[in-house]
Formats: sequence, structure tokens, C-alpha cells
Amino acid sequence: MEIFLQACVNGLLIGGFYSLMGMGQNIIFGVMKIINFCHGEMLMIGMYLTFVFNTFFGIDPYLSIPLVALCMFGLGALIQHTLITPSLGTKSFTNLLFLTVGLGILFQNLALVIFSPNYRTITTSYSSITVHLGPVTMALPKLISFIALIIITIALFWFLKYTSTGKKIRAVSQNPIGAEVVGINSKRIYIITYGLGCALAGVAGALLTLFYMVYPMVGSSFGFKALIVVVVGGFGSIQGAFCAGIFLGLLETLSSLIVGPTYRDLTVFVTFIVILVVRQIIILRRR
Amino acid sequence: MKGLSQYTIRKRIAMALLMILLLAIPLFLSGKPYLMNVFILIFYTSTMSMAWNLLGGMTGQNSLGHAAYMGLGAYVASLFVTKAGMNPWLAMVLSVVIVGGIAGVVFYPCFLLKGPYFTLVTIAFGETIRQFVINWDFAGKATGISLPFGAQSFAEFRFMSKVPYYYIGLAMIVGVYILMKIISRSKFGFALRTIREDEDVAAAIGIKPMRYKVYALIVSAMIAAMVGSFYAYYNRYIDPDLMLQTYSVEFVLPAIVGGAAFVEGPLVGGAILITLSEFLRNEFGAILPGINLILYAVVLLVVIRFRPVGLLGWYSQSKAKAFVDTKILKKTDADKEA
Repeated sequence: MEIFLQACVNGLLIGGFYSLMGMGQNIIFGVMKIINFCHGEMLMIGMYLTFVFNTFFGIDPYLSIPLVALCMFGLGALIQHTLITPSLGTKSFTNLLFLTVGLGILFQNLALVIFSPNYRTITTSYSSITVHLGPVTMALPKLISFIALIIITIALFWFLKYTSTGKKIRAVSQNPIGAEVVGINSKRIYIITYGLGCALAGVAGALLTLFYMVYPMVGSSFGFKALIVVVVGGFGSIQGAFCAGIFLGLLETLSSLIVGPTYRDLTVFVTFIVILVVRQIIILRRR
Repeated sequence: MKGLSQYTIRKRIAMALLMILLLAIPLFLSGKPYLMNVFILIFYTSTMSMAWNLLGGMTGQNSLGHAAYMGLGAYVASLFVTKAGMNPWLAMVLSVVIVGGIAGVVFYPCFLLKGPYFTLVTIAFGETIRQFVINWDFAGKATGISLPFGAQSFAEFRFMSKVPYYYIGLAMIVGVYILMKIISRSKFGFALRTIREDEDVAAAIGIKPMRYKVYALIVSAMIAAMVGSFYAYYNRYIDPDLMLQTYSVEFVLPAIVGGAAFVEGPLVGGAILITLSEFLRNEFGAILPGINLILYAVVLLVVIRFRPVGLLGWYSQSKAKAFVDTKILKKTDADKEA
């Protein structure tokens, strides 16, 4: 039972990361109808930024979150402005898909060249403190990260729901032409959206750095999990992405507890395919 | 040759010259195994890319799991050879049939999904197969399978020098190219392109999208399985990493860079990308690992950003082609109709 509870807590925690990544991916998809295949690499860049800020400037990982978010927003906005917006005009889904795939390869290998493939970690004064919650034990950084994740999620909901920019983002994602008609500059919204998506991935990376190793390939599995989250939660639905992220985290830890860690990914992928196909069949039946 | 214009004849002569050149290359390079290896690499990567292009470029179904079919083909063939002691050629044929069957049956429901959903399910499918093989005791788990070494023999698909592999690879790429050309001009090819442009229209004029997409996938997976078997026999060693999604991407890039709308696109893209990448890996690989992949990515980004139709698409609209056509191949106005 204790192991089960512990697995649940770990699942919730890792699920929080999937949620955060998934929500970023989801905003991007909702607005531009493209899958951002370099989302995992954005997480990786966020992790390396945190690592650099910590090792070379001595900034605490949690304090570096705003800095990382700002840098990632800038990077995302730059990519959107120089590469994605011009390509959106060609209306070629294949090209947009491989544009982001290409960016992913580029960032991964740039990280490989700059930081070498070595695994890197950050240690802080509070890294080794553990917290006991009833029968469950967890490291303090994990707990803080989880709380931070929840705060960011709530802030994101609030941003999309109540701020003017948030409303514009939702407007463009619901009806791009209608949004243009009422005077929303959709190109600017694209830039903000992509920047925001990247910033969310970067923040997830910053929060992850404290208890996860940093290496150039770290993003790929997270990136694909974020895609699973988006698909299971429903394209364009932020709440759905949040729930699906938590579900995926729990599925992962519980399946590695029940069927064994080597079959963990197999279980996740098969579940994903089944959900995808079954849902499509249901949708087709309803027509 | 009756009915053929000057232009067509000259074009065919150019093709024949290229073919003779390719056939003659081993005469000059047989002492340089590294360069021979680059050619073989170009052959099988471009063939894979053509296989992808049938489904991706022609039918518009972007698969990112083609490495899994290739890996599966390699595994099935290697298992037949190592565990059942089967003749490698027969194993190759069986592997092609089995993988085609698996692709058709397992993937049938996945074609209900469209656009991004389809792409995602192909990734998940590829990963599933990889995870399955990693956990499969009989196939050597994560260690993979080594094929037996031994005396050189054509029947055993085992050669000391790279020259026979070169010719087999060349036969493979030429064969698949001709097949693609035939498909592209056939009713089947036109049906696939109709599906790419608009599935509802295709359905309305009597093309069953599901059926044609599955056919395209089966052919594509079969070619991939053939390449996979070739890869296994050539390298004499395979492991589950062969199915990594990064390889799927590497098989797509030649098609995108060369021009996915053209049958020749993957060939042009493959030749350019592999040559550049191998050159960089050779020159800078020791000091800057990953530099060749950075180049891959940069070429891809530049092509998509500035020449979204690919290099061949760009060429076919450029003055260079007009020059080649009119001055060298003596194309006349009458040929434009054909």
C-alpha cells in the first residue's frame, strides 16, 4: 500500500511536468494548428539555461525561473517570427511539421556540440532534504517544484481567461478569420503564443533540473509525452491537457509498479494508440 | 524509335550515361571502402526515403515511424537466418511479405486518423515496436542480433568486399525507382494524389481513401522491410536502436529537401544530404560530434523556409532547367504537351 501511495505521488509529480509541457503544446496547436515537434528540445534548453545560470552565475534554480521564462519567450518569438510565420503561408502541413522537426534536431545537436553528451546535475543546499507526508517520503525540491507547477498552471488559466492577450489567443484559436475581422493582429498573437508555449516548456525544464539529469537528448521522451498529453486531452483543450498529463504520469508509475519498469513505455504507447483509435471510431459512429 | 521525340531520346541517353557511370564507380573506388560505404549509405537511405515518399509525399500521410518497418524487416530476416538457418534471400522475401502483412493488418484502424493524429500514431507505433523488441528475449532484447560471419558466398548474402553490396544496393534503388515511376504514372498513383489533395473529393469520385492508403502503406512497408534486410546483411549486426524515431526523421529529410512531390526528390535529396553529412562527419566528427546533424537541420530549415517545394521543385521552375531543356536536350514546344 505504501509503495502504491508512493508511486501515486511520484506519478502526480511527473504528471505535473507532462501537463505543463502539454499545455504549452496545446496553446500552440490551438492557435496555429501545427504540432510543435521541438517542444521537448525547448524543455532541454530550459534545463541547460538553468544549469548555466546556476553554475556560472550562482543563481538559485527557483530564482532563475523568471529569467529562463524570459529567455525562452524571446527564443520562441524569434523562431516564430523568422521561420514559422513565413511558412504558415504555404499551408503545407508536411513542411510545417518538418520545420519543427528540423529545429528539434538543430537544438539537440547544438547542445551536444556546446555541452558535450555528459550528464550534468545541479546540487543545492536543500537538494538532499526529504519531507515525510504520512507514509510517503519525497525530496523537498520535488515538493516545491510540484507546488510551483500548480501555481503556474493556475496563473496560465487566469491569463487565458481574464487578460486581454489571453482572450485574443482564445479568439484566434477558435476562429482565426473572425479574430482578424474584429481587429486582432494574428501575427502578433502567433508570436506571443509560440513564445508562451516555449516559455512554459522552459519553465518545466527549470523546475525539472533540480532532480533530473541534464543531457542533450533529455527532451525527446518528454516531448513525445507532451504530444500524447495533447492528443489524449483533446487538441485545443487546456483543462484536458492538464488532466491528461496527470493521468499519463500516474499511468507511467503505476504500470512500472504493476507490469515492471521495462514494460512501462510499451504500456503507455499501446494505451495511447488504443485511446486514439477508439476515440476516432466513436467520433465516426456519431456522425 | 518511332514516336519518341529528340527530347525524350536525349533524356534517356542522359539517364543511361548516369547509369553507366554508377555501374563503373566500383572500378575506380573498390580500393576505398569508406567511399564505397558512403555510396551504399546513399542507396539505402534514398530507397527508404522513396518508400516514405509513396505514403508521405504522394498520399499526404506523414509517417514518422518508417524506421520501425525497416527495423522490423531487419529483425524478421535476421531471425530467420540465425534461428532457422534459412537462406538469406528467401528470408528477405519472407520478411518483406510478413512486414507488409503486419503493416496492413495492424495499421488498418490507424488510417481512420487524419493529419497530425496520423503522424502521432505512427510515432507511437514505431516506439511500441521498438519497446516490444527490447523486451523480446528471443530477439536478443536490447543487445540485438549478430549475423554469422564466414566465407564469401552469394547464396549466403555474405561478401568480403563492399563491391557486391554496392551492386545489390544499386539494383535495389533502381528497382524501387522504376516501381515508383510506374506507380506514379498509374491509376493507383493518381488515386493517391487525389487522396492527398482532398479525401472527400476522392471518395466522391469513387476512390476509396482507406483502401488506397492501406495499399500505399503496404507497398511502402514492404520496400522498407527489403531495405531493412539489406541493412542487416550488410552490417551483420542489428539492435533495437535501428527503430529510433531519429532514424525515421533521417529517412524523411531527403524527400523533403529534394522535393516530396517528385519521384526523383528523395534521390536528389539523399545524394546531397548523405554526401555532405558524411564529409562533415569525416572531417569534424572527432572534434565536434553532431555537426553532421546540425547541417542536416540547417539544410532542412533553409529549404523549407526559402524553397518550400524542395530543390527539385525549385529546379523545375528555374532558368537552369529551361537552359538544360532547350540548349542541351533540344526540347521543342511539341514536347511540352507530352
